Amino acid sequence: MERISFDFPFISVSIAIPFVFSVLILIFREAFAKYIALLGTGLVFLLSLIALTWFDFGKTEAVQFYEEYTILGELGVKLSLGMDGFSLLMYLLTTLVSLVAVVWSMGDEKIKHRLKEYYIAFLLTEAFVIGVFTSFDLIVFYVFYELTLLPMLFVIGVWGYKLRLYSAYKFFVYIFISSLFLLLGIASLSVYHYKEKGSFTFSYFELLGLNIPNGFEIFLFLLFFIAFAVKTPIVPFHTWLPDAHGEAPTAGSVVLAAILLKMGTYALVRFNIGLFPDAAKALAPYLVALGIYSIIMASWMTISQTNIKRFVAYSSVSHMGFVVTAMFLLTMEGLRASIIEMFAHGLTSAGLFMVAGFIYNRLHTFNFASLRGAIKFMPLFATITAAIAFAAMGLPGGSSFWGKFLTVVAAREYSTALALIVIVAAFFSGAYVLYFMKTLYLDVREESVLVHFRDVSGYPLVAFLMILAPVLVVGLAPFVFFAFYEGVIQYIVRYILRLPF
Amino acid sequence: MDLRALIGTIEIPDLKKFLPELILLFLAFLLFTLELVLGKRQKKLVLPLVSYVGYFSVLLSLLIPWRYPGDTFYGNFTNDPLAVTVKLFATLITLAILPFVPTYYSAKRSFYGEFFYILAFTLLGVFILASSYNLIIIYVALELVSVGFYILTALLRGSTPSKEGAFKYLILGGLSIALASYGAAFMYIYSGSLDLREILTYQSADIHYLILGLVFFLIGLAVKIGAVPFHYWLPDAYQGAPTPVTALMASVGKLAFFIPVVRVVPLVEGKFLVVWTITVGFIAALTMLFGNFVALVQKDVKRLLAYSSIAHSGYILAAVAVSKVIGMKAIVYFLVAYAVMSAGSFLVLALLEKNPEWENKMEQFTGMRFALPYVAFAFLVYMIALLGVPPTVGFVGKALVFMALSFDKLWWLAFIMILSTAISTGYYVRLIVLMYMHEKQRDIKVSWTVGEGFSLAVLTLASVLLGILPSLIWFLVKASAENLFTG
Repeated sequence: MERISFDFPFISVSIAIPFVFSVLILIFREAFAKYIALLGTGLVFLLSLIALTWFDFGKTEAVQFYEEYTILGELGVKLSLGMDGFSLLMYLLTTLVSLVAVVWSMGDEKIKHRLKEYYIAFLLTEAFVIGVFTSFDLIVFYVFYELTLLPMLFVIGVWGYKLRLYSAYKFFVYIFISSLFLLLGIASLSVYHYKEKGSFTFSYFELLGLNIPNGFEIFLFLLFFIAFAVKTPIVPFHTWLPDAHGEAPTAGSVVLAAILLKMGTYALVRFNIGLFPDAAKALAPYLVALGIYSIIMASWMTISQTNIKRFVAYSSVSHMGFVVTAMFLLTMEGLRASIIEMFAHGLTSAGLFMVAGFIYNRLHTFNFASLRGAIKFMPLFATITAAIAFAAMGLPGGSSFWGKFLTVVAAREYSTALALIVIVAAFFSGAYVLYFMKTLYLDVREESVLVHFRDVSGYPLVAFLMILAPVLVVGLAPFVFFAFYEGVIQYIVRYILRLPF
Repeated sequence: MDLRALIGTIEIPDLKKFLPELILLFLAFLLFTLELVLGKRQKKLVLPLVSYVGYFSVLLSLLIPWRYPGDTFYGNFTNDPLAVTVKLFATLITLAILPFVPTYYSAKRSFYGEFFYILAFTLLGVFILASSYNLIIIYVALELVSVGFYILTALLRGSTPSKEGAFKYLILGGLSIALASYGAAFMYIYSGSLDLREILTYQSADIHYLILGLVFFLIGLAVKIGAVPFHYWLPDAYQGAPTPVTALMASVGKLAFFIPVVRVVPLVEGKFLVVWTITVGFIAALTMLFGNFVALVQKDVKRLLAYSSIAHSGYILAAVAVSKVIGMKAIVYFLVAYAVMSAGSFLVLALLEKNPEWENKMEQFTGMRFALPYVAFAFLVYMIALLGVPPTVGFVGKALVFMALSFDKLWWLAFIMILSTAISTGYYVRLIVLMYMHEKQRDIKVSWTVGEGFSLAVLTLASVLLGILPSLIWFLVKASAENLFTG
């Protein structure tokens, strides 16, 4: 892999800015906290847009803006930060969603206490997630990956809803324990490199060229897979998610669903497929089956929810099922579908959680039964909700359409039967969105309840529009985003998986 | 015998390698004399002051043995990088604990001038233990450290748990010393030497005596380390002891008692490598599982931390099972890391115990973030470090142990370690949740002196900084580990 450095350290600056602004929040009065946080995330978002203009889209497979600092020479631990097209896309998503989360929080009347810590938690999460998406050193990746746990633990535990403590525990315990397997995997990989080449290293580029015997490769694949399967999550490992997402404050759910889940899928592509291609090929049929199972099960569980936030949370699981299925089809189209679906789901899930949060702030309930026809009297909000929900369903023109469509195309490359199975799964995931829409729009409210709702305005409206705009761009012009990572998936298919191309 | 031949064999001790110990010995006797001479009021002022000056000069003098490695006293006193590293951190942590001693005792309305010279003697024992291969000297040094700890544990007026802990520690400690010396005798029968290096490299067909001796010797040390099933004294002693002393036992004590084991590790050769790996690995697995399981149900935070200390012995022992250089680095780093974390966490308790209403109960931590934000933050950092969340020292230690285990393909032990760390999330996260996510319940008022605040701040910073930049101490770890293997 080619590494291209750049005059300006975009990545380390965009990791450093949130830290600096966190310190500023600590120094200044609590009343200023939200403005400082807005400034910080805004600045990072601006920086990511500038980085976009300097990125060389002719060579998306090359790791650009590369920086390297040695941390521990003997064990080969380096802070090596860089971005290829895939990382860049995730980096953009991170900076955008973090900004949206802060903008949303400014208008969220639920967030009233411990404001300093609240905004610091979001700033830190942003910094750590950028670190996750841009580290090309496995141990540094692990450090950032684990660090994202701490601010989220606090966000769920302090500002969450009724079951917040239970959910915070569950979230932390699940992710922490599963990632210990990842740590063992990383350590074993490095030790294997030492035994083969005579030096310890955690560098992705050096480990890429390692020839691992087949059994051991599958073992390592599974160690990595456990961690990322829990994080993603794939169905038997998903039970932490509805609780964590359901009980977190709205902005917390937005960040969790939109970017923290992407860490799992990002790592599956980057490490599980990138470092262990043979194991991935060997296990692909099982993983695709698991992915499809995940879609169908999660869709069923989604429909049976009575709590709107848990509903959105389960729908995330089903979308992640698409990402995993598409990814392990191990074809160009599959990987393309997988990555565009990651980006699209980041946007739509953020939007849906904000819809849920907005409804809660107006009605003070998450219960579906009392939400019947609730948003009829808010025309603007109803329009936004419809746009986001249809995009999530995969209606052509919506952002998720391309992920689902390309997954079917990729499945068709294997067999028509597989494609049909994927279509059936997609049907279920369409069904729950329709159910959602029906409840909100078409059902009739009970007579006795007569409430006048204010339509969406102010900060929440800004947040919605910031999500809605990219949703439409992805839906209508997906080729812009395909261009981000075309080189990356070509590289994966050609040189790592060595498939006929 | 020809006199000249006799004189020729006499080695003049190279005292510059022994300088820190000499200063410490002098300091101990000075404190002893001052304790006898001075009046009670002066004691409270003078003894800590003299201790500070003494330990700082010990710290400075450690530079000299670092510059001149090599043996002296007929090879009975080994001065290698490992010894210097251990002495360095033992002194640093003692210095960190010292500010808490006068205030803790005055809060408990019991002042003992004896504390200071016993502390100095204990530290002398640690120093000698850190640099000896000779079984007799190890025995003497073990006694010196242990007796120091027995007395320090009991030094709390009017506290029965303290006496009880000290008594249990005394009985089991005495047993362990007896076992260790019994083992030493077997090893002497086997090789005709008391030097561990010679014993373990001695070539003989019949190694039964060696195995027997080593087993007894290591069981003796296992008691001191707190490995399961030899751990029974540990929770009681840790809980009963005055909290600064607990901090000392958990950090410096653990550091010291592991050193003889560490010195055996590189000498384990092919003939009983498999037995070694399986036995130590089994004990390690048992220790970490037991420690974490029992810690999970504790209501008393001091006792909980004592069990967590047992669990950490298990993690370190897991690296001991791997007798390779990477395992050695893991051991040395983890020992230092654990010393920092445990000293910090016990010192937070020592600070809180100055409030007479404080009983170390878990529910008293509820909402501490509001009452004592700084203390709560420090404790949060130690909990995270003990749990092994990056980027703290605990994480680097665990990562190194994982590397060592995968080096030897000890997957079963690695998975048991994952399991036991998983169990430990239960109680560490519970404390974090109690401190930060519950509403404020009551006011806990605690004041701290500049020295206490500084020492806690330094320990907190160290537990994060040494995790982010392990290279700050890596040269010590590397030199210690590699020197043991290459000689």
